[in-house]
Amino acid sequence: MRSRKLMFIAGASMLTVVAGCGGNNGTEGNDNANEGNDNANVNANANEENNAEEAAEISVWAMGEEGNALGEFVEGFEEEHSNIEVNVEAIPWDNAHDSLLTAVASGEGPDVLQLGTTWVAEFAGAGAFLDLSEYEDEHDFINHDDFFEGALDTTEYDGATYGVPWYVDTRVLFYRTDLLEEHGYSEAPQNWEEMLDASRELADRGDGMYGYDIDQEDQLVPPIFAWQNGWEFSEEDGAENFAASEFREAMEYYHTFFDEELAQETEGVPIEQGFEEGEKPMFSSGPWMVNILRDEAPDIEGDWDVAMMPGSEKNASAIGGSHLSVFSESENVDESLEFISYMSEPDTQIDWFNDTNTLPARQSAWDDEELQEDEKLAVFGDQLEEAVAPPVLAEWENIAQDLLSSLERINREGADLDEELDSFQEEAENRLD
Amino acid sequence: MNHKSPMTPWLFIGPAVLLLIMFSLLPILVSLTISFTDIDLIGLGNWDTIEFVGLENFINLIQDPLFHRSIFNTLIYVSIGVPLVIICSLSVALMLNYISSKLFTFFRVLFYVPSITNIVAIAVVWAFLYNMDVGLFNFVLNSLGFQDVPWLEHPFVAKISLIILAVWKGIGINMLIYLAALQSIPRSFYEAADIDGANKFQKLRFITIPSLSYATFFVTVTTLIGWLQFFEEPFVMTGGGPLDGTMSMALFIYERGFQYNEFGYAAAASLILFVFIIVATLIQFTFNKSKEN
Repeated sequence: MRSRKLMFIAGASMLTVVAGCGGNNGTEGNDNANEGNDNANVNANANEENNAEEAAEISVWAMGEEGNALGEFVEGFEEEHSNIEVNVEAIPWDNAHDSLLTAVASGEGPDVLQLGTTWVAEFAGAGAFLDLSEYEDEHDFINHDDFFEGALDTTEYDGATYGVPWYVDTRVLFYRTDLLEEHGYSEAPQNWEEMLDASRELADRGDGMYGYDIDQEDQLVPPIFAWQNGWEFSEEDGAENFAASEFREAMEYYHTFFDEELAQETEGVPIEQGFEEGEKPMFSSGPWMVNILRDEAPDIEGDWDVAMMPGSEKNASAIGGSHLSVFSESENVDESLEFISYMSEPDTQIDWFNDTNTLPARQSAWDDEELQEDEKLAVFGDQLEEAVAPPVLAEWENIAQDLLSSLERINREGADLDEELDSFQEEAENRLD
Repeated sequence: MNHKSPMTPWLFIGPAVLLLIMFSLLPILVSLTISFTDIDLIGLGNWDTIEFVGLENFINLIQDPLFHRSIFNTLIYVSIGVPLVIICSLSVALMLNYISSKLFTFFRVLFYVPSITNIVAIAVVWAFLYNMDVGLFNFVLNSLGFQDVPWLEHPFVAKISLIILAVWKGIGINMLIYLAALQSIPRSFYEAADIDGANKFQKLRFITIPSLSYATFFVTVTTLIGWLQFFEEPFVMTGGGPLDGTMSMALFIYERGFQYNEFGYAAAASLILFVFIIVATLIQFTFNKSKEN
């Protein structure tokens, strides 16, 4: 009996350990859909290219879709640099965070890696990346002012530079031109008042009809509202930022959409479907949504458009995307910088855009004809200039999630807005200490 | 041929013991140690920054309302889910035991399939079934004249929804254990009962159920341990929401540890879960023993 008891306890403990394992939900993942791993292919290609004998080998980690596409894309670089061989490893977004954790803990990682903008503070604080500002004099692409300002902001942490912008994304307003036209809007709502008015009109169409759909799990949404209201986060003020009237007003505005049922509180149909059927005629999302709508909702082609986000003080949105960083333990720093330099050239950025539809981080790349001609894309270009970067703080992820929880309590439980936000502010203060 | 080396038994159990030490005992000791530190991502990269904080993690946990909520939710999961799994899998096994052999195989497979289906695939399908507006469940309820049920949108209903899903998924494996136990009950018991003129219910009550007591004990212990670590269902279906109504202890640990990198805090929470599990298991052993005596 005794030994059996021991076995049970051992079994139980094993299960406890296992409970910690599992996937990671990539908060970055614009596009988690394709998790195929093209590693084998990529390695095979790389080996064929191995004509220079003393070629230095650098390994690159790229995530999701980008990882799959980059393997072939680097051939262009290898042709130009016969002495450098690039090994691309594609990592699904779901595993990206765990893989990075492992790399940091073991000190064994790639030379160059793709880094989501919101992960900079978290991993830079742990000393995972090389401070590139030391190389700024030799390499002018580091901190180059041709990159979007919002993108450069997120490469900096604690006075050092931990990455070079690779591609960017931002959210814009998607709206049904036909439905808004019916309710007197020949163009998209330009400001908060119009937005609220249009949403009320559209939600009035009947039961199960909504105005502006808001994703309650997207932690960038509440700050976007706040930025639109002229709120600015300053690091010195810490949690005091959340007492600012601009912030509080914005949260009240956010709550209005749920209070008046202009946005659906429950899960509902997927947004693509709701948009196509007209129940949810407005929502905000990133560039990836353009192609999804073109593919999945061909019936409404021509009846929808994108516009800059409406704001009260400014038409702000959030900037996201990815940087390229050098791993702190890398032994091939020069080659790695050479590679990043290549990837950040405007021409490469245009090629990369053509391959993957991700938006170039360099402003001069936007002068390209193809990018200019596509009107929907041009909106993203304009929005990027007004896009704000989330604060680069290691605690931000926590704070942003707390804010979402508070807003959920306000929307669903009817918690008092001011009291709830006061306690959120208190919590943020504890976290920032 | 009969040379007994004192090493022989060690050689036999050696590999298993080694694996146990490496993958169970060592991790437990490590997590025990780090639960008294403030290790985070920075500490992972640079061990010098790790500080010993004594019981601080545990004190904070005791004051953390989300942790309270997760304990409460886990207890609800266990107290509803475990009896339900045992009753359902036992009834299914008993019924399967009555029917003919071809049907038997078919239904056995049918009931087992959920256990071996990938949880992500299950989550996709069930999320649609549970959808308030377009889900099948509400569609059926509506056509029968009932109101919409907020399956995953209400903190308490969402817990029940996840329990239903987990029971559906958990029946298969326990049913198999019961079936095996049922088939090992000696025929002679039933023959003797027939001679005594026992009816079907009496045979069930006085022969089948008592003969299954060890199987029931095994199923109870393993199911309870599993349900105390309720993780996959809220992780893939609700992410702990709405309003933290489905947050379980295991999910809390995962989020703290792997989403927010508070490894020390998460280790402390997992230690508490570990104690919960051991206490629950020991209670059952004591209970079982006193019954045997």
